[in-house]
This record gives sequence, structure tokens and C-alpha cells, in this order.
Amino acid sequence: MEATNGKTKAGDWQNFERILLPPIRDLHKLDVYEAEYDGYQAIQKVLKEWEPGEVVNEVKQANVRGRGGAAFNAGLKWSFMPPKGDRPRYLACNADESEPGTYKDRQLMEYNPHLMFEGILLANYAMQMDACYVYVRGEYVDWIDHMERELEKLYAKGYVGENIFGSDFSTDIILHKGAGAYICGEETSLMNSLEGKRGYPRIKPPFPAQKGLWGNPTTINNVETLAHVTLVMRHGADWFSGIGAPTHPGSTIYGISGHLNRPGVYEYPTGMLITDLIEKVCGGMRDGKKLKAVVPGGSSVPPLHADMIEGVTMDADSLREAGSMMGTGGMLVLNEDTDMVTYLRRVNHFYQHESCGQCTPCREGTGWLEAIVTRIDEGEGNLRDLDLLIDLCDQMEGRTICAFADAAAWPVRYTIERFREDFEAKCKPAVFDTGGVTISA
Amino acid sequence: MSEFDIKKPVVALPDMDPEPQIPEEDLFFTEEELERIEGFTEKYPTNRSAVMPALWLAQEKFGFLPPEVMKLVAEAIDIPYAQVYGAATFYTQYYKKQMGTYVLDVCCSFSCQACGSYDVLDYLEEKLGIHAGETTEDGRFTIQEVECLGSCGTAPMLQVTNGPYVHNLTEEKLDQLIDDLRNDKMPPFTSVTMPQDEDEMGGNRRSDVEHTDTYRTPPAPERWI
Ligand SMILES: Cc1cc2nc3c(=O)[nH]c(=O)nc-3n(C[C@H](O)[C@H](O)[C@H](O)COP(=O)(O)O)c2cc1C
Ligand code: SF4
Ligand code: FES
Repeated sequence: MEATNGKTKAGDWQNFERILLPPIRDLHKLDVYEAEYDGYQAIQKVLKEWEPGEVVNEVKQANVRGRGGAAFNAGLKWSFMPPKGDRPRYLACNADESEPGTYKDRQLMEYNPHLMFEGILLANYAMQMDACYVYVRGEYVDWIDHMERELEKLYAKGYVGENIFGSDFSTDIILHKGAGAYICGEETSLMNSLEGKRGYPRIKPPFPAQKGLWGNPTTINNVETLAHVTLVMRHGADWFSGIGAPTHPGSTIYGISGHLNRPGVYEYPTGMLITDLIEKVCGGMRDGKKLKAVVPGGSSVPPLHADMIEGVTMDADSLREAGSMMGTGGMLVLNEDTDMVTYLRRVNHFYQHESCGQCTPCREGTGWLEAIVTRIDEGEGNLRDLDLLIDLCDQMEGRTICAFADAAAWPVRYTIERFREDFEAKCKPAVFDTGGVTISA
Repeated sequence: MSEFDIKKPVVALPDMDPEPQIPEEDLFFTEEELERIEGFTEKYPTNRSAVMPALWLAQEKFGFLPPEVMKLVAEAIDIPYAQVYGAATFYTQYYKKQMGTYVLDVCCSFSCQACGSYDVLDYLEEKLGIHAGETTEDGRFTIQEVECLGSCGTAPMLQVTNGPYVHNLTEEKLDQLIDDLRNDKMPPFTSVTMPQDEDEMGGNRRSDVEHTDTYRTPPAPERWI
């Protein structure tokens, strides 16, 4: 397939032809992937003509920014791996996808799993890995079975395993099924879980590149990040960095949900206007209601007030300026009828439920956040509770083993800041009993 | 004021030697199952890593994971019981107590909440006469409130016993689902099309319907309420 058409700036998104999830029937099947989508050409070319280090550089230059949440340059992350020694080395592909509002990796695993597999092989070659463990969340049973079938074909054809494609490079891919724990998406927790332990995050340093899976050098990447690697190696770094937002290039899968006419998973270049996504892509707000809030990248990123989204585009820099984050690209759109207190109460419940419980500020803090917001939601809170909540956030952020506590605190801090009127409306007025005379303030 | 009763532990400790819940004659792995477990251990450098797949296998066989099953798993992969216990109790999808034949996991995370998942939960609770977290008397249904299942675009939705998803729930759909499950008819696995596929390809892109059903994203009519 000639894919020069991928070269699209976000402004021209109507003419964008999809590259991650192109409209090809049965693309998830190996034969179709090979026949109609140049499947496994990039890896064969790379095995013959490229040095591992050159692949790392190419990916670095393409500026593939991690799609798992932190938007870190994938090639740069790869370059942190120590030189190959006697120790085994591992790649972990993060398909845990449990952030509320996020459901993009599932589509990729369903419709184009080989793009991910090929990306894994390229990454494994670039970093000379012995194996890749794909950690898929346990709820995705059907998609695991489906990928298992395709993986069997790959082993049978010699595309994975010993001496792949007849080269002298050998590597394995192993699918691992989780069992329902959001925290296992955090990279060090994922490693503990793979080792058969409870999914407790580890203190960094040591970083995974030094001491990861079973104490050996390890790199963790998201499913979509690895899929992009295939495209980079197929079409070149320049082609890739010409798509979408200049500082956060490529296409991306937007998982859009909430009060919209046509919610769903869409592939477009990065750097799309949020307003375009809502109005033009998703057919506008359901029932003609007004927009109240947008949560651009999963439950842990700060929500944006409807007044704040004018001109904001979906890429790391623009969203940071606007006061939020790209996160996973799982966007939730809420209409004017939404009560942000109830919204926050449910978000807090999620974090209270999913905290692994190692760190006191997180374990206790998430519980208190939920308790206090619930009190406000039930009409029993008062205005001072809002300060108390902010104070709790101060005690949680940056004081724990992993970033979970920050992720739990941000929505609280920014929902209160940006939607204060919703909270004030539910708080009891302060009433002072002055012995007979009641003064309300 | 506050009295600390030294005899009463603050934290309820798990019963170290509870009554076994699986009859002793059923408590074993067949040769074939042991072989599969052996296969799991080969995928990882340590036996301990095989604990998750082995627990999945055990749960499929016994339905849930009481301590005696955890011990059996510990023996099968040759690691201490405490390690199996630690792992099994960490993850929510491993059932530590007996569940109904069909577990209805209603997602109530924020996208689903915004689209009426609590109405779904209320409706189910009313219909089955139990609260979330409980099992019906006939042992057929358990309802649970769960976190995001990764299908937010088709909210509200639920998952049946760690298996297929049911999307865009309405009262009629729930009635149908409960009727089907009473007759032991599981819903099929459903593949949700991308709206872009509907425009460009006229619908679903997967032809292997022996494995999955297809489902087109509805243009959001009046869903719930
Ligand atoms: C609490 C928490 C949960 C996370 N969950 C996920 C997840 O479900 N999927 C994912 O890809 N990354 C998740 N991450 C990010 C990973 O730790 C890691 O940064 C990412 O997988 C790296 O891949 P990337 O560089 O390709 O984005 C999570 C991080 C934190 C702190
Ligand atoms: S911050 Fe929370 S989730 Fe992360 S390690 Fe500490 S307790 Fe666990
Ligand atoms: S919020 Fe319900 S599936 Fe994601």
C-alpha cells in the first residue's frame, strides 16, 4: 500500500487516510496483513540492512511519543538500555489499559494486532531483547484468544521464535493475562505482576532499564507506541514526524465517550482541535445540550471547563498550556446537566478502590478524598471542606512511590478550581449559633 | 475515652484453617491440566510467574478460589502457599468466594456513569432482588459494580462472568439478557465497529463471525431514561 497520504497536518484532517487502523477488511488476519498492508516487510528489511543502534536512532528521530500517558520519546527511552551483556533483556508491552475513559488499545489489538507484533519484533531487535511479554488486562479475554491464534501462526511461520525470518536473531513473544487491577498499568507494578507477585509499584531508581523484570534490563512501551514503531520503520522517520502536531507527531487513536451523538474510537492525526472532535467528528452534543466539561485523556488528567477549550488541540504541548494533559487520548465529554460533584465523587471512588495501599498518603488520602466529596455530594459538607480537599491533595502529590497518588489528586484539585460553583451550590451555608440570634454567612 | 481492647484484633485476620468448600475427592488437577500448568511455567524464567495463569485455570475448573484450591495451585507450581494467597487476593477478577453462575459486572466508571450506569445497576438490583455484591438465592446471578472495562464509547455496558461484553444497555436489553441467561444462553462476544469503518466500509471489517458477533455503534438514540 502506498502511504504517502499519511502526510497530513492536523488542520487537513478530513483528508487524512488512516494508518494504524486503515479500512481493510480482515486486517487482523496474518495473510491479509501481509498481502494488503505490506505486513512484516519492515522487519525483514531491518533484519537484513540495519544495525540495532540505527533502529533506535530512527525511532528517536521520528519523535514517537509514548501513547501510554507520559508522552515520552520512545527512541530516547530505548537508548537508556545498557549495552548487551550476559543478562537476559526484556520488553514489556503495556496492554493493561484500565484508565477510565480509555479504550483505544483494544481496537488496535482487535483490528490490527500484527502492527503491534511487528513493532514488538522491531523493538526487540533494536534493543536486542530476548523476549517480549504482552500484559493484557484480564477482562479482554476474547481479544487475548484472538491474538493467541494469530501469534500461533507467527510461530508456525518462523516470524517469531528461533532465527526469525532466517536471520540469526531469535526472540519470543508471550501473552500474559492480567486479572483486574488498574495499578498493573504502572510500569513497575506491571513487572511485579508478571513476576507473579502482588502488583505493587517499585521505588525508582533503579529504573527498569537497569533492573526490571526478574532483575534484568527491561523497557516498557504501550501497544499503540509499538504499533507506531512499525510505521516509522516502514516509511521512515521524516514521513512520520510530518504527520500531525510538530512536537507530538503521528496519528493517534482517540477514544471518545460521553454525551455525544457518535461516540467511538477514531483515528486522526495528533493536534486535532477539541472542538472539531466534538462537533465535526462525533456529530456534536447529544440532544443539542450545551458542553460543560472535557476530560481530554482519561480520568486522571485535569478536566477542562467548556470556556477553556477554544483553540486547544490534542497534543502534549497545547494541552499543557491549556491546563491539562494528553494522557491516553481517551476523551470524555460532559454536557450541561452533569453535576461535577457527583462526577468527582465517582472518580475518587475509582482511585480509592484501585490504590495498591503501599504508601500512606495514597492509601489513606484516596479514602478521605472520597469520603469528603461524598459528604459534599450528600449535602452535608461545608465550604471549608473544599480547602480541606486541596490540603489533602498537597499531602498526596509527589510523596508516594508511584504517580498514582498524583493521578488521584489532580482531578480533585482542578475540578474544584474550575467548577467551584457546583461545589458551592451543594455545600451547607455556614451557620453560626450566637445564642438565639442566627447569623448566616 | 477510647478504649483499646487488646483481646479484640483491630483487623480481622483471615481464617487460617477454614472449612474446605470443595469436596476432597474433587480437589485435584488432571494430568492434562498439570501439563498445561507445566506449559505456563515454561513461558517464564521463574515458576512463581505462572501463578496468574494457574489461578485462572483453577478458577475455570472450580468456579472460585477457596484456600484449598490456592494450596493446590501452590503445589502444582511448587511455590509457597503464602505467595499464591498474596497474588490471588490482590486481583479482583479472582473470586475468593463462591459467585453466582452468572456474574454481571456493571461498569460504573465515569464514562458509564455519565451515560446512566447507575440506572442500570438499580434496574438489575430491583429485577433480581439483590444488591451489588450479592448473589441471588438460587445461586444464578451475582451483581457487581466494577471499574472501567475499556468500552466507554458504548456506555452503559456490562460484562458477563469475566467474558463477553454487552453494550449500550437499555431496559429491554437487560430483560433479554436475564431471560437468556436463565436459559443458559450466554451472549456472544461482540466486536464494536469504529464509526469511521461504518462510513468508509459500510460496516464491520471482521468476517470471522464464528468467533464474534458484530455490533454497529448506534447513533445514540434515547439510550437510558
Ligand atoms: C497509575 C498508572 C497507571 C498506568 N496505566 C497504564 C496503562 O493502563 N497502559 C499504559 O500503556 N500505560 C499506563 N501507565 C503508564 C506506564 O507506567 C508507562 O509509562 C507506559 O506504559 C510507558 O509506555 P509508553 O512510553 O509507550 O507510553 C500508567 C501509569 C501510572 C502511573
Ligand atoms: S502511590 Fe498509591 S498506588 Fe502507587 S505505590 Fe503508593 S499506594 Fe500504591
Ligand atoms: S467507563 Fe465504563 S467502560 Fe470505560
